[in-house]
Amino acid sequence: MRHPRSGPGKKRGRGPRIPATTLRKQKAALANVDQITGAKIPKSFVFSRGKLPSTLRHLQQDLRKVMLPYTALNLKEKKRNNLKDFINVAGPLGVTHFLILSNPKSLPHLRFAKSPQGPTFTFQIEEYALAADIANSQKRPRCPPGIFKNSPLVVLSGFSGLGNPFESLVEYFQHMVPAVDPSTVQLAACQRILLLKYDKDKEVIDFRHYSIKLQPVGVSRKIRKLVQNNQVPDLRDFKDVSDYVTKRAGYGSESEADDEAATVSLPSDVDKLNQASRKSAVRLQEIGPRMTMRLVKVEAGLCSGDVLYPWPVAKGAVGKKGKVTEEEIEGQEETEDGSEDEMEE
Amino acid sequence: MAAAPQAVSAPPSAATPNPSKRKTRPKGKGSKNKAKKKKLARSEQDDSVRRQRNKPSAKFLKLLRKRARDYNSDDDEEEEEQEHPPSPRRRRRDDDGEDDDDEALSHSDQEEDEEEEGVSTSAVTRFEQGCRAFRVAFLKIMNKKLPDDPLGPILSAHKKLVAAKLAEEAEERKPKGEARKEKRVAAEKGHVIPKDHLDSKEKELIKVATKGVVRLFNAVSKAQKPRKDLNPSRTKDAKVLAKERKNTFLAELEMPSHQDKKSQAPSNFSKRTGKDEHEPAWAPLRDTYMLGSKLKDWDKMKDSAAEMQAEVPLGDSSDEE
Repeated sequence: MRHPRSGPGKKRGRGPRIPATTLRKQKAALANVDQITGAKIPKSFVFSRGKLPSTLRHLQQDLRKVMLPYTALNLKEKKRNNLKDFINVAGPLGVTHFLILSNPKSLPHLRFAKSPQGPTFTFQIEEYALAADIANSQKRPRCPPGIFKNSPLVVLSGFSGLGNPFESLVEYFQHMVPAVDPSTVQLAACQRILLLKYDKDKEVIDFRHYSIKLQPVGVSRKIRKLVQNNQVPDLRDFKDVSDYVTKRAGYGSESEADDEAATVSLPSDVDKLNQASRKSAVRLQEIGPRMTMRLVKVEAGLCSGDVLYPWPVAKGAVGKKGKVTEEEIEGQEETEDGSEDEMEE
Repeated sequence: MAAAPQAVSAPPSAATPNPSKRKTRPKGKGSKNKAKKKKLARSEQDDSVRRQRNKPSAKFLKLLRKRARDYNSDDDEEEEEQEHPPSPRRRRRDDDGEDDDDEALSHSDQEEDEEEEGVSTSAVTRFEQGCRAFRVAFLKIMNKKLPDDPLGPILSAHKKLVAAKLAEEAEERKPKGEARKEKRVAAEKGHVIPKDHLDSKEKELIKVATKGVVRLFNAVSKAQKPRKDLNPSRTKDAKVLAKERKNTFLAELEMPSHQDKKSQAPSNFSKRTGKDEHEPAWAPLRDTYMLGSKLKDWDKMKDSAAEMQAEVPLGDSSDEE
């Protein structure tokens, strides 16, 4: 019995045959619509306008990694590509969010925009650190490759009770990643977290990217390592296995005190170590870039349109401009409402 | 050595032994023996001047060649070679006089020659003096300690030019180097390399993030656990399940967000669950599948033409795929 696929007629020179399951998964990743929630999966483009120095190019690549898997990791842009080109391409591909890096006057700026007509939030990056710098500063950098297969979780903090542009900003960030349905989500799929915290004193937003690690609580290090490594430990010096297990088992690490607050009980098996109905501690380790951003401008259109955020000059500024500013304010309020409606999808 | 007997043979025919005169035998014209008599008569002053002249005359050379031809000796082939020479070859050997062997030979020859008479003596003397002069000059140069000049051994006048040029180039490079440095600094603007991982601010941030994650995980576990008690395939239980799920959500997520205004992460979920409670759980069954909540009651909407147009293209584009 010949396998139907292996017949001579089927070979079309496609190269190594991809099994059907992989093809299905690839298609699912590229799909526009989330299977379960039915909402459109937001995809993003991260690119730059203008010439960037090399460290900013690294930052751009780091940001692309943050937005994985629903972004183009190897997006190639040419000098002659305008913003319009990106908009035109974004439509058929289902890309909804743009992250644009630029370097006007030697100050790095990052723009979050929604395609095709959405608002644009312009931030000035006051400080940044690359993923490589962070890995260098850590004793044990941890970045398993599998964590980029799922989108990160977004955690926003410090945004409550703020004025208008920040509320639309909150909406934007929440929509930047596909929604997580708690009844169906697998905890093994939540491996990254993106934290955006607003600092009221300095009026800057801290951008941090962490990887999540679940560690079983109450299990001594040796046993944990034993299960993890699957290797038989060296028992030369011990007369009995109990010696191995109980020796030096009393002292936990100092960070376990913090873990008290961070314990969760898992609904299902995450992996060998963290099993259902057991307590595990959530440990975060920083990966990815670190940024401190200040909101500079909000525009109603995609890098165009009325300027919403830095409130226009007050009425008492200059005689001639007085009337103009009044009209502007009224116009802006109207368009603001319009843009908010669009975003509530 | 051959020069010696030759010299001996020749001059005696010319004149009686007269050592002083023999030494100062001038170069000059007259290759024949008779001519040598005339030469002997010349004053010594002329000789000293002529001695300094390096170039032997053609007639003199012819004489030397003739003598070489006549001479027949087995020993002194070297002398033959020395005596034979046309002028360039002689000069060449003067240049080679630095070679120790030649020097020794010529010295020994010349010393002996000096005792003899003859034109060849003068030639050899000149050769010897040329060699000696060259040797002195050469040693002087080699022993000279060069100034440690970065420009190297160049002629003094040219030195100034070269120095000026180098100074110019250095000046040109300075502003360029500074410009490059400034550019590099500007490129790194804002780039802060974290010195110490985990200072207090970072710890705070990690704590906040951890709280969010913990909240989510707890919510998830509450949502996913009670399933085990009831059987989801039975419709009655399914409804109970769904209600329970939503209730726990709203309780778990929305309440704390009112009290403790720190984290708004779960508001994402509340949005989803806060919709119409009669919606089925599976997405395509909902009325608002891919339409957005606005178009839920599209047949009842009157004046939302603009918004519909904005929505429908989005919907169409995803349908076409």
